[in-house]
Amino acid sequence: MSAAEGVALGYEPVAEDQRREARVWIATGGSHMVPAVSAAFKSALLSAALDLRPRRDARVVVLGTEIDALPAKARAGLRAQVAFLPANGGLISNLNGWENIALPLGYHAPKRLPGLAPEVYAVLEQFGANARSLLARLPEEMTLYERKLAGYVRMRLGRPKLVLADDLAGGLGADERRHAADFAAAYLADCPEGTFIQLQDVPDESG
Amino acid sequence: MIGVYRELEGSMRLAGHVLRRCWVLRLPPVAEELTRQIYFTGASATTTIAIRAALIGTLIIAYVIEVLNADAALAVKMLLWVVLREIGPLIAAVLVIQRSGTAVATELALMKISGELASLRHMRIDPQDYLVVPRVVGIALANTALTVYVQFIAVGGGMVLSALVIDASLGEMAGTFFLLASPLDLVYSVVKSLLFGAAIGVIACYYGLNPPGNSINAVPKAAISAVTQATLAVMLLNVVFAYLVYGSALFGLFTADL
Repeated sequence: MSAAEGVALGYEPVAEDQRREARVWIATGGSHMVPAVSAAFKSALLSAALDLRPRRDARVVVLGTEIDALPAKARAGLRAQVAFLPANGGLISNLNGWENIALPLGYHAPKRLPGLAPEVYAVLEQFGANARSLLARLPEEMTLYERKLAGYVRMRLGRPKLVLADDLAGGLGADERRHAADFAAAYLADCPEGTFIQLQDVPDESG
Repeated sequence: MIGVYRELEGSMRLAGHVLRRCWVLRLPPVAEELTRQIYFTGASATTTIAIRAALIGTLIIAYVIEVLNADAALAVKMLLWVVLREIGPLIAAVLVIQRSGTAVATELALMKISGELASLRHMRIDPQDYLVVPRVVGIALANTALTVYVQFIAVGGGMVLSALVIDASLGEMAGTFFLLASPLDLVYSVVKSLLFGAAIGVIACYYGLNPPGNSINAVPKAAISAVTQATLAVMLLNVVFAYLVYGSALFGLFTADL
């Protein structure tokens, strides 16, 4: 059995002095919280998990695969199983809610588009949003929570096996935080073999 | 000099990408972008251009008849040569540069600065496929349609207005026009407009995707560069066409057999 087997996301810097605070080794399945100890660490981790290119500065494992040993041709297949949910939802500003949510599916799996609406409505309403209104609005007319929610629904439709969510609760009010806290559980209920990793910004206490 | 070479190389690469990846227009989100671009560049510009085109047609006829004291036949010949082959494609291209060139460069630069291009990559969508291909194809098609529209309004409107404003016979002018006009004139201007539009689209996208910095100040700079370079490219292409068709650059129009 290889050391990478059963690992959803592994990131281990080569330099020994960085390993203690920047090592991430997460088993497949469930919801996990990773403290983003610095902006540089977060950027390096995301880049490793999303670019899937061999790195000199770290050993990277994604969904049980050592990235160093990953042939270039297999990269696209593995990347399709990894989704990223940015802190601001990552919506495109000139597309309304529906167009934003349907964009990746329309691009990668257009045949799934016709039956998409009920699924989208169900998830939006599960998290307390007025689906019809949200889907018709542009991102600039949405609250931060609505943007995160639209990004989350879009991510869910792709059925990824590994989700990286950046600062999910950041900038939200108390009620919205409660809803956002359920994002991981709802994803795992839908995709039990999946892994949901939240990158939690660590407050800077230096100043 | 290195900067100019880099920009030229970048634009050529982008044009190559558009040619290689045209098939992405079949994908629903890309097709929607194409429709939007055609509507914005073509349909929504028609009212702006109609009055200008009709006035230019009238001006050419009035100038030839009143100032040069020529007959209606020569006025129509001038209209045919100047509007159909030269001014029509140029007017459309200038309008497209002013409206769509600036809009595309600004939009893409803003998208890059605000991290939306990165968002597209996170969704495994190549920004060049989703943003550049439909914009270049859309601008090329809309520019061609606008050119035909300009030609129709300038020639038709010019003849109608001339008949009203100066002492010129509409029937005589229309008869001469249909006698002299050749389908080749239309083919020539369509090919030219397609290339003008594609060049405008590629250049606007190139500067939009490569703004000079990551601050908001880079956005107007990208738009200015796009407008300047697109205008230059259209003028150069026009010279190339003049050379190919008339056998000599710039002044070929006057050496051609009237």
